[in-house]
Amino acid sequence: MADIRVEHLHKEFGTGVEKVVALDDVNLDVSGHVFVSVVGPSGCGKSTLLNVLTGIENPTRGKVEITHEGRDAFPGYVFQSPRLLPWRSVMDNLIFVHKDRSKETRERCRRYLGMVGLEDRGSKYPGELSGGMQQRVGIARAFSTEPDVLFMDEPFSHLDAITARSLRRELHDMWKATKKTVLFVTHDVGEAVELSNRIVVFAKGGTIKDDITVDLPFPRDPADQDVAIAKADVLRKFEELDLIAT
Amino acid sequence: MAKTLDASPDQLQKITHGQETRVAARKKRLRAVKRWGWRIAGYVFFLLLWDVASGTLMSDRLLVPPAGVAREIGEIFQSGDLWMHLSSTLQKIGIGFTLAFFLGTTIGLLTQSRWWEAFFKDWVTSTMTTPGLVYALVVGVIFGFSPIGPIVAIVFASFSYVTVNVAEGIRALPKDLIDMSKAFRVSPGSRLRNVIFPHLAPYLFTGVRYGFSIAWKVTVLTEVFASNKGIGFIMRVEFQLFSMAGLLAWISIFFILMLFLEKGILQFIEQRFFRWRQEVKLA
Ligand SMILES: Nc1ncnc2c1ncn2[C@@H]1O[C@H](COP(=O)(O)OP(=O)(O)O)[C@@H](O)[C@H]1O
Ligand SMILES: [Mg+2]
Repeated sequence: MADIRVEHLHKEFGTGVEKVVALDDVNLDVSGHVFVSVVGPSGCGKSTLLNVLTGIENPTRGKVEITHEGRDAFPGYVFQSPRLLPWRSVMDNLIFVHKDRSKETRERCRRYLGMVGLEDRGSKYPGELSGGMQQRVGIARAFSTEPDVLFMDEPFSHLDAITARSLRRELHDMWKATKKTVLFVTHDVGEAVELSNRIVVFAKGGTIKDDITVDLPFPRDPADQDVAIAKADVLRKFEELDLIAT
Repeated sequence: MAKTLDASPDQLQKITHGQETRVAARKKRLRAVKRWGWRIAGYVFFLLLWDVASGTLMSDRLLVPPAGVAREIGEIFQSGDLWMHLSSTLQKIGIGFTLAFFLGTTIGLLTQSRWWEAFFKDWVTSTMTTPGLVYALVVGVIFGFSPIGPIVAIVFASFSYVTVNVAEGIRALPKDLIDMSKAFRVSPGSRLRNVIFPHLAPYLFTGVRYGFSIAWKVTVLTEVFASNKGIGFIMRVEFQLFSMAGLLAWISIFFILMLFLEKGILQFIEQRFFRWRQEVKLA
C-alpha cells in the first residue's frame, strides 16, 4: 500500500512556440488499498502523469510524493507497449528489474510467468513471442517485483478480448490479495467501472475534470445490471463534461 | 495421429511449435551445407583458372602456378621469417587499432554534444576519405623506419569508422527501455550492462569491422615504404628481387590470415553476442 500525493503539478514539454502543456495544475490524493482508474481522451496527459509519478520525467512545477510507511514507495509499471529487452530471455527480462538475484527471486519470477500463462516460455527471447504474449511478460515483470504501488498504462488495450478478460480478473484478485495501491490508465470505461473504486477523469489540456466514486461490491461482472448501469452513468457524465473542448 | 487428436489445444500448439522449429532448423542446416559447397567450388574454380593461365596466358615465371606458390609458402614456414614478419605486423595493428578504438569511441561519445560535433565533424570526415597511401607516405617521411609510423597511420586511418558508428548507436539509444529501467529503479551499472551495452554492441562491431580492415591495409602499405620488418616490408623485398613466387606466397599468407581473423574470430564473437537475433530469425 502506498500514499500518492500530487500537488499543483504542471508538466510542459518544449519551449516557445513548440511548448506543449501536458499536465495543468493536477491535484490528486490516493491513499491505501484502492484501485484508481484514470480515463480521458488521448493526448490529455495520462501517460505523462504516470511518467512523472514513477520518476521517468521531472515535473515542471509542483510536487509529487509516493510513500509507503514513511519511505519512498517502490513502483511497478506496466507500459502501453511491452518494453522488453530483445537481447535477454523472457526470464532474464523479469530478473533484470530485481535488485537481488537470489533463488527466491527466480522462483517468484517463474510463478508470475505462470500467472500470465507463460511458464514454459521463460527461455525464449521476446522476439519469438507474439505481441500479446510480450505484453503479458511486461505484466508479469511488474507483478514480480511485488511493488508497493502499481502503475498501469492501458495494459490490456492491445490484447484480445479473452486474454484481456482473464488478466483483468487476475489483476483484481492480486489487488485484493496483496492490498496494493493501483493507478490504472484506460480509455475503456467498462474496464474502469469493472475494476476500480475511483475514476479520475482527465480532459484535453491535462486537467482533472471529475473524480467519480464507484460504490459496487466486487467482483463485478460486466454483464451484471448494476455494473452496466454504472457504466452508462459514467458515460453520460463524460458527455456533460465535454472533455475534448479546450 | 490419434495422439494429436487427444491432445488439448494447448498441447497441440506445443507439438506443432516443436515441429516447426525442427523443420526450420533442418532447412537452415541444409542451406549452410549448400553455401559451403558453393564456397569450395569458388576456390577450386579460381585456383584452376590460375593454374591454367600460368604458362598459357602468361609465362609461368611471371604468374607462378599454385603449386609453385605453395612450395614457396612451405619454405617461408620453415625459414622462421614468417613469424618474425607476421608478429611485427600484428603487433602494430594490435596497438594501433586498440588506440584507434578508444580514441574513436571517446570522440563518438563527445560528438553527442552539438558543440563537440561541430569541433570534430570535418576532421572525422576528412580522415575517413583520405587514401591510406597518403598516411603511409607522410608517416614514412616523419617517422622513418620506427614502428611508431604505422601505428600513427593506423590510428588516423581507422578511428573515424569507430566514431561514426558509436555516434550513430548513441543517437539511436532505446529511450523506452532506459525509461523502463529507471521506473523499476535499476541501478546505472546494471542499466549499462543490460540495456546500453547490448544496444551499442552491433554498432561497435560494425565500426571494428570496417576500422580493422582499413588498419590492415594501411599497415601493410606503410611497411612497404618505411619499415625493415613486417608483411609489407617483405613484399617490397620480394618485389625488388623480382621474385614472383615469393610475392604471391606472401600475398596468399596475407589473404589466409585476413580470412582467419574475419571468419574465424570476428564472426565467432559476433555469433555468440547476437545469438538472440539468430533465435528470433528462426522463430
Ligand atoms: N517526451 C515528450 N516530448 C514532447 N511532448 C510530449 C512528450 N510526452 C508527451 N508529450 C505530449 O504531451 C501530451 C500528453 O501526452 P500523453 O501523456 O502521452 O497523453 P495520453 O497518455 O493521455 O494519451 C501530448 O500532447 C503529447 O504530445
Ligand atoms: Mg498514453
